[in-house]
Amino acid sequence: MTRMTIPIGPQHPALKEPLSFLLTVEGEYVIDSSLRLGYVHRGLERLCQERTYVQNVHVLERVCGICSHVHSTAYCQGVEALTELEIPPRALYLRTLLCELERIHSHMLWLGVLAELIGFTTIFMYTWRDREIVLDIMEEFSGGRVAHAVNLVGGVRVDVEQEHARSILTRLDDLAQQVDTFLDMIQHERTFQARTRNVGHLSVEQVHRYCVVGPVARASGVDVDMRRDAPYAAYDQLDFQVITAQQGDVWARTMVRSLETIESLHICRQLLQNLPSGDLTVRAPRRVPAGEVVSRAEAPRGEVIYYIRSDGSDKPARIKIRTPTLTTLITLPDQLRGVNTADVPTVLAGVDLCIACADR
Amino acid sequence: MIEHLHALIYMLPELWHALLKRPITVRYPFGPMEFPPHFRGRVIVVEDACRGCGLCVRDCPASALELKREDKDTFHLIYHPDRCAYCGQCEVSCRFGAIKLTNEHVQAAPQRAPLEVLVKPEKGDEAERAKTKSGVDEAEGGSTS
Amino acid sequence: MSISGNAIELLSAKVVSALFKLLVFPGFGFLFVCALAFQWIDRQVAARLQGRVGPPWFQPLADLIKLMAKEDVLPSEANEAICAALPIVSLAAVLTAGLYVPIGAHSVAPFEGDLIVTLFLLSIPTLAYFLAGWVSVSVFSVVGGNRSLLQYFSYEVPFLMALSGPAILHGSWSISHIAESQAIWTVLVQPLGFLLALIGLIGKLKRSPFDIPKAKSEIGAGPLTEFSGRKLMMWQLTMHTSTVVGIFLLVNMFLGGDGNGVTALTSFAFSVKALGILLLLSVSSVLYARLRIDQLANLGWQVLAPLALLQLLVTTWIGTG
Repeated sequence: MTRMTIPIGPQHPALKEPLSFLLTVEGEYVIDSSLRLGYVHRGLERLCQERTYVQNVHVLERVCGICSHVHSTAYCQGVEALTELEIPPRALYLRTLLCELERIHSHMLWLGVLAELIGFTTIFMYTWRDREIVLDIMEEFSGGRVAHAVNLVGGVRVDVEQEHARSILTRLDDLAQQVDTFLDMIQHERTFQARTRNVGHLSVEQVHRYCVVGPVARASGVDVDMRRDAPYAAYDQLDFQVITAQQGDVWARTMVRSLETIESLHICRQLLQNLPSGDLTVRAPRRVPAGEVVSRAEAPRGEVIYYIRSDGSDKPARIKIRTPTLTTLITLPDQLRGVNTADVPTVLAGVDLCIACADR
Repeated sequence: MIEHLHALIYMLPELWHALLKRPITVRYPFGPMEFPPHFRGRVIVVEDACRGCGLCVRDCPASALELKREDKDTFHLIYHPDRCAYCGQCEVSCRFGAIKLTNEHVQAAPQRAPLEVLVKPEKGDEAERAKTKSGVDEAEGGSTS
Repeated sequence: MSISGNAIELLSAKVVSALFKLLVFPGFGFLFVCALAFQWIDRQVAARLQGRVGPPWFQPLADLIKLMAKEDVLPSEANEAICAALPIVSLAAVLTAGLYVPIGAHSVAPFEGDLIVTLFLLSIPTLAYFLAGWVSVSVFSVVGGNRSLLQYFSYEVPFLMALSGPAILHGSWSISHIAESQAIWTVLVQPLGFLLALIGLIGKLKRSPFDIPKAKSEIGAGPLTEFSGRKLMMWQLTMHTSTVVGIFLLVNMFLGGDGNGVTALTSFAFSVKALGILLLLSVSSVLYARLRIDQLANLGWQVLAPLALLQLLVTTWIGTG
């Protein structure tokens, strides 16, 4: 059988962001692949050294489109730890609320993208239609659908009134019903399962070797979640479950993410019903005392780590970001070995790549 | 084959519901587009309240605000909507409530000129305003090209 | 003198009438209009079922006009002559097949055995599609071409067997004859055959869930990736016209065609049946995920072919028993 080299990317219908894969294919099976990154590298870590701490909140939000709030949360937490600020509880609850809303948004978007790559355009249209409910809630709350600009060093910028909170709760109930319908649909829709079961397998040993985090790790049975293991914001006062699965294929990842969406809706309800009263911000100094801090948060795709070093001025000396997509990208050559060419987009979608995060 | 027949039972009711609901598509620009009240749109400056302190200029991450001082009492605040990231930091930083984000979304323009908004405080009379406006326009042509 | 004058008049009248039948109704002009209309209805139905607004009525025509104005480039290693000839040959084949399929008791040139000729002519675009992928040398095209050939072998055999059912039942290989001699519709006597013919048609037209050769997310546009401009316009017109001809074929073979007579009511009945089959095709395209090529091959040979064989056996047994 002849060997062919199929290029996936930088422009390819299966990819949402530019990435270059060269697949060596024999017949219908992939033998080898090579990966190339860097198409969306914008040098944001270097840019942060030229901007003040206040400006960096907005710069770092634009590392990624979908996980934007989590990046600014992790950064603000780090700077607040360096300046030893005590954030009012209301601000922490509102930050957590937006984190969870973003997680719901990201998982619904991902389900649609996976369905589209399988060829199931109908589910793509339906999940993106219902994702509009979450986007509308986020737009009313923060002023933007994707770039929220809610965090400040020292708290949050926007507030939720009682009536607004009630209307959000009603809409979240509608959304919960829709998500339940989708879960029902994909569990019984055999053509969907036929395309995702036993595709793109990752064993526990591989997860540990590549330090994979997030839903991909949880779908292989590794129980790791920053919200429970290293609680930040208001997570230590909330009651939620961490979802894991055992099979480690794309179907397991689908189930983990769908059930996580339902858990996130549950968390949002708890947050809105128990919102403490109080201030929204504390005054933050412009010059941050010298020191270094590591701040972690749970983005929709896994653990995101921020290392911030300051030298006492009003501009950071170094900010280093480790995003979760970097860990899952390294596993792709392993996952793609022996996979049918038709399943390559499924595997790529299953790991939920966010190349903007990976390239920064 | 059986699985395809099985799938029918679960998909057909959904398709039927989708047919009965209105399409979710917003037909902008052939139909209305709604913006919620806190939408972060175009920046406006309340001219009376602006003191020319420069806090907003210092905190803007995108260098969209520029302050030019002629002398102690006259200054010009220039806003570039094309550089603006609509983050709202200027609104938070201003201690006098002089700069706000409306919920107007910014239309595109074919040239730079309509996008450069000159804001200055209500000082001086018409003649001075006209004189300083043309002076700043020339300076702008040099600095922004 | 007057006899030859009459003969000339008769001859020219016949020529004009034949040209009208060929070019306007029920020939190329009508097929072209139907192709665009059916394409629009299909896209609207799929859109409404997915909760979105479909395209306006002139969209298929606008697409074709736009393609005519676009640049026509091919890779340097592709054989230009073959690539230019293939879409023309496919379009010609499909239009010719349309001549033998009666549209409401009008058929341009019916004869005994035109069912077989029609089926052969409808296979030419599929083979040309594969060849187009092979000859335009890019990786995506070659992989798409391989898949389209594999798909052809999976659905074509059940499709042909299912379509032989009505022929055996009514004892004729002429489509017009089969359409006229249906006292009860064939679908009531051979429901399995109708289902298999419908599935075969979905495979032939490369619609979802059998749109494997042109799986957008995997291999770009499959065999037609490198085509653009006028060549792509002719390929698209071929696809749309195959849809129309395939639907009309099924209406005639299984749903009684137009019955007899050319009254307005029977033409209305024919359109309703054709639109009914189009509706079935549109709904089935939004119901399922795309199959993998090996899953399709399994489906074709392990399920569809035995069922088609069963249907044929039952038909012959009833026919002779």
